[in-house]
Amino acid sequence: MISLESSIIRFKDVFKKYSPDNIIFSGIDLEIEKGEFVFLTGPSGVGKSTMLRILFCAERPTSGEIWVDGVALSSLSNAQVPYLRRKIGVIFQDFKLLSNRTIFDNVALSLEVIGLGKKQAEQRVMQVLEGVGLTGKMSHYPLRLSGGEQQRVAIARAVVNRPSIILADEPTGNLDLQRTEEVMMLMEELNARGATIIFATHDERLFENTHRRVLRCLNGKIRT
Amino acid sequence: MTLAILCRRAFSDLRQDFCAQLITTMVVSLSILIFAFFTLLYFNLQYFVDRFGTELGLTIFLTKDTPKDRIPSLHQKLIGLSEVEKVTYISSEEAFRRLEHFLKNEKDVLEGVDPQFLPPSFEIQINRAMFQLNRIRQLAGEIDKWPEVSKVQFGQEWIDRLYVFSGLVRTIVAITGILLLFTAAFVVTNTIKLTVYARQEELEIMRLVGATNMFIQGPFLVEAFLQGLLGSSLALGIVLGGYRFLQGFEAKSELFRGVSICFIPWHYTVAIIASSVLLCVIGTALAMRRFLRL
Ligand SMILES: Nc1ncnc2c1ncn2[C@@H]1O[C@H](COP(=O)(O)OP(=O)(O)OP(=O)(O)O)[C@@H](O)[C@H]1O
Ligand SMILES: [Mg+2]
Repeated sequence: MISLESSIIRFKDVFKKYSPDNIIFSGIDLEIEKGEFVFLTGPSGVGKSTMLRILFCAERPTSGEIWVDGVALSSLSNAQVPYLRRKIGVIFQDFKLLSNRTIFDNVALSLEVIGLGKKQAEQRVMQVLEGVGLTGKMSHYPLRLSGGEQQRVAIARAVVNRPSIILADEPTGNLDLQRTEEVMMLMEELNARGATIIFATHDERLFENTHRRVLRCLNGKIRT
Repeated sequence: MTLAILCRRAFSDLRQDFCAQLITTMVVSLSILIFAFFTLLYFNLQYFVDRFGTELGLTIFLTKDTPKDRIPSLHQKLIGLSEVEKVTYISSEEAFRRLEHFLKNEKDVLEGVDPQFLPPSFEIQINRAMFQLNRIRQLAGEIDKWPEVSKVQFGQEWIDRLYVFSGLVRTIVAITGILLLFTAAFVVTNTIKLTVYARQEELEIMRLVGATNMFIQGPFLVEAFLQGLLGSSLALGIVLGGYRFLQGFEAKSELFRGVSICFIPWHYTVAIIASSVLLCVIGTALAMRRFLRL
């Protein structure tokens, strides 16, 4: 049994239903340790994205309680939610890039909202863009990039403010084998530096030979 | 977040979204313009009635046998009244000359008529600030009781009729103005809603990456402030331009001589600008609210 102190994420009897006949979770108990790297898998439509959305308060559970970094999410007011989100980097399944801003500005947005100085922000953005191999396209607009490139921008924006938790929703969904390898390496590296990572994917190959914990969603429950 | 950063973000938004911002400003401007036009109309009606009343003034006819040496003391007495702005004495001879002038070519009919046959009179101009129909009526009644006075004349029936009529017109203009105000508020808030909705995705994404509502709203509110300020100032500027144009007419044209117009009182123009700014800012804040919940 993992002690409360070391678990950075904890679900207790969490239910989520959109309507009486659309029940996504029916009683989830789960603990994720600080610095852990877990895979979240299950068939399409099972609720992987929903679980991540609950974690960064884009969705509220129907009942039950969730603690993130010691904070009970039900106790957070709308005004406090942004401060929670600054601790969490989210790689969205649909990227959620601003089409009227350049790649550089999209990545810089995460730093802009926390009020980081321009000089410092620029340095960090360049560093992260280099990490995902997009330095050459930083003044392009998202819609002029390929799906894989957009995905890497989304990854860059999620990690640029060095969050302690990273929620990756199918971050390799649009990438070829080599790029997938690179993203996995990047995730490993972030994890090695102390970030807790939840990696949602339906691609079994990504965790075939891993020693990592794999959470499987099925019928409203999660099995380890 | 400092004010400088806020303004920088607002202006970068303005540049990116120049067209939409311009359209919103134009809508604000047009709405305020229509409303301001009616306000101008309203104040000019009021101004016209007040001025018309004072210009009619009072004419005090003296009895024909009033001795000449009583005139200065009567003059003194009249000028001492607080309602009175200016007193002009018209002697019998002066009245006769005016009649001759009025008759022009027909003045032969006055041949052989005694120049003293017209009574001497005082013409009184009413102090504009003091003008009130009831007070003037009372004043006329009092002066009428003086022994030297044979008759006090003023266009009372005219003023009465004018008051009733202008009261009616003013009510109509005021009601129209208020309806226009609602229409303007409705049009402006809906235009703002459209510009906010067009950027809905941006708002949601900013919120998802950890921006506080104040951070997201800040530039929008600055933009709304500028839109309200510029839009209403532009509208009032146009109305002022039109007013100056008409004033020019008034000075030159024979037709308009004596028809004087006034501008909207300055505290009303300030109120119009302030309300327009408030409307834009509150409209924006309300339109944004629904995107800042998640
Ligand atoms: N706002 C909503 N209202 C109603 N139902 C919803 C809503 N959002 C999600 N759902 C439903 O919840 C279920 C889970 O969706 P979710 O996106 O979490 O699936 P997923 O596991 O991420 O699937 P995928 O692998 O395809 O991304 C789906 O059946 C979806 O229809
Ligand atoms: Mg999903």
